[in-house]
Amino acid sequence: MSTLAVEVVYRGIFQKTLARNIVRSIVFAARKDGKIGTAFGRYGDSPERNGIPAKQFAIVADDPEELEESLAVYQATNVDVTINVDDTMCKGIESWAWYGLQPINELTKPGGTLIVTSRQQADALLDDIHPKESPYNLSIVTGIPSFSGLWVYKDDHTDVRVLGALCKVCPELVSLDAMLETIEEQMGGGTKVVSAQRSYERTGARPVEPGEGGNRREMKFTMPGWKSMEEGLVIRAIPEGGEFAEGEGGYVPGRSDVFKKFSTRSMRPVVNFETCIKCTLCWLQCPDTCFDVTPDGLYDANMEACCGCGVCEAVCPVPDCVTMVNEAEFNDNDSQWQWWQKDKDGYNKWMTDLVEQQKAETRTHGFHHVGGYAQEIQAAEAD
Amino acid sequence: MTTLMTATDLPQVRGVKNIPVEEFYSSGHRTCQGCESALVMRLMIKAAGPRTIVLGSTGCMYVANTTYYSTPWVVPWMHTQLGSSGSAATGTAAGLASMMRKGKMNQEPINVIAFCGDGGGVDMGLSAISAALQHDEYNLLILCYDNESYANTDIQVSGSSPWGANSTFSPPGKVHRIMNSRWKKNTAPMLAAGHPDVRYIATACGSYGLDFNNKIRRALTIGGPTFIHSIDPCPKGWDYDPKYSHELGMLAIETGLWVQYEIIDGELILNGPSRSIAKGIRRRKPIEDYLSRQGRFAHFTPDDIAHFQQRVDDSWEKWWMPGVIPFTMSQD
Repeated sequence: MSTLAVEVVYRGIFQKTLARNIVRSIVFAARKDGKIGTAFGRYGDSPERNGIPAKQFAIVADDPEELEESLAVYQATNVDVTINVDDTMCKGIESWAWYGLQPINELTKPGGTLIVTSRQQADALLDDIHPKESPYNLSIVTGIPSFSGLWVYKDDHTDVRVLGALCKVCPELVSLDAMLETIEEQMGGGTKVVSAQRSYERTGARPVEPGEGGNRREMKFTMPGWKSMEEGLVIRAIPEGGEFAEGEGGYVPGRSDVFKKFSTRSMRPVVNFETCIKCTLCWLQCPDTCFDVTPDGLYDANMEACCGCGVCEAVCPVPDCVTMVNEAEFNDNDSQWQWWQKDKDGYNKWMTDLVEQQKAETRTHGFHHVGGYAQEIQAAEAD
Repeated sequence: MTTLMTATDLPQVRGVKNIPVEEFYSSGHRTCQGCESALVMRLMIKAAGPRTIVLGSTGCMYVANTTYYSTPWVVPWMHTQLGSSGSAATGTAAGLASMMRKGKMNQEPINVIAFCGDGGGVDMGLSAISAALQHDEYNLLILCYDNESYANTDIQVSGSSPWGANSTFSPPGKVHRIMNSRWKKNTAPMLAAGHPDVRYIATACGSYGLDFNNKIRRALTIGGPTFIHSIDPCPKGWDYDPKYSHELGMLAIETGLWVQYEIIDGELILNGPSRSIAKGIRRRKPIEDYLSRQGRFAHFTPDDIAHFQQRVDDSWEKWWMPGVIPFTMSQD
């Protein structure tokens, strides 16, 4: 007699089909094991926005009464397995429908498991993850996070590899045999069954002790209740921006106190202030108003407001002046310009090394244009 | 009737470095990565300045911009219903004029801008916009940000969706590949032809920031009701990497699919790449460059691309006014 819950934390739109494939297959496989289940997306995440973290759930129970009982809860408050399909969300997630940053493992039960698709090692991931009071396990499905668009799915076996790992870390949820049968029937079978089986064999778990985890960032706000709302549903405007400091010049836009957008980011712009020609394009074309105009006429991306779309890199006319770098490389949201002001040599060396490393890596948002999918799948399969 | 009083501090800007630095639409919105419509909002209000009232009909730029008691707007902003951007603009402009006439407000020019998406403007709100454009005693600007679908509710077909594009309402199937068989509605010329007294109607694109800035300013300073239709690449509905929002906007124009022009006091003036194309200075890029970068056209066969190309060619070669007026005059 038990009810088991799984949540999939994913990047809105980019991984919507991936998340749906995972939760759906869990329910199909559970039926083969003689259980009953349901899969659903979190209401507050819809309509999804590209990149903004979202969740889907799968609930599996022994009989319909138990399932109904657990479905009476609007959103699962604790889950047996949390699946995070993009490792940069280990830093915490801020959904678009409410305030504040939530730890990735917030809903993971004591003794539960957090599965992450990543090319990082467990210790590096734990640096990003918030500490938890209870122990849990961390499992890694090695791979580049799989991103694609709303219409064209990048079928790179990430879904079946996650499902294989899931059967290993939580055998009481669904059996491997039932899952492989489901993959055969629902997802085309063939090499996918092999991928799932291999992932099952390779997956291990690293126990995480209470208090282990390097992320201390908290971001909590008081949600205004209906009684505290103003007449006519007035929302207070953002204050006007102004100079960096009195008399210093430059321009810092006013910014929202309650919604930061950085947890949407999987890539971050890194700026070479030495080669910048002050053409204004990154600043002018940024949809998120994230560039401060510095007193010396440079443009400094505010890392709390930046959501990592990469338009600044695309419009920059100078080679390697703005480079999008994997968000996993960073541990803070500090100003690059201020660092560069204080220690130009140190900053320039760090920046050059990072840009070189990024060129060697394959990480992008996941797709450049439609033809790009085929090449990337080949690369992923060769991995 | 009060005399029309338009803003006097909104000069045309020469050179991208002279675009004002002040922001009145800031961070705190929850749009997609690379949202071109958010950029359009930002450029719009940057050009208009702080003495502006913005009215927004339902759509992404309402829902994602004011989620749960937060907002990116620095200036006063109000939500209005899906089809009522035109009526909200007229009402607000009339209210301001009346308050000033009665001495309850200082006499000063206040810009009134109502924005709508293609769902709110091209489909639902068309009649209200038409009514607003007939009220030539008020200054107002209606800006239609066109991302070619009902993008907020997860991409349904609108009157502005392109032929053959994938959407929740037109998923390509094995038997019927092209499920949206309608060609995009030709909105700005329709409004220009139907409202000859309107002094300014333009098309625009956020990829051309300076041009966009100047078009907004011309619309706000010329006097009377005005309309701007902007093409906004949508990374969610068009299915491309968000970093290419800027590039796709440029491609829409360079391929000749979207035509950039202003109609000032009854005179049509093409600008940007559209002008060079019309003058024969530059060639149109093949439409395939544009289509192949978007997942919503991934199901297109070479025949479909050829058909699309043919339609674009016809609009330049056979239309009475290339890219603008889609019929010819009988020789009889």
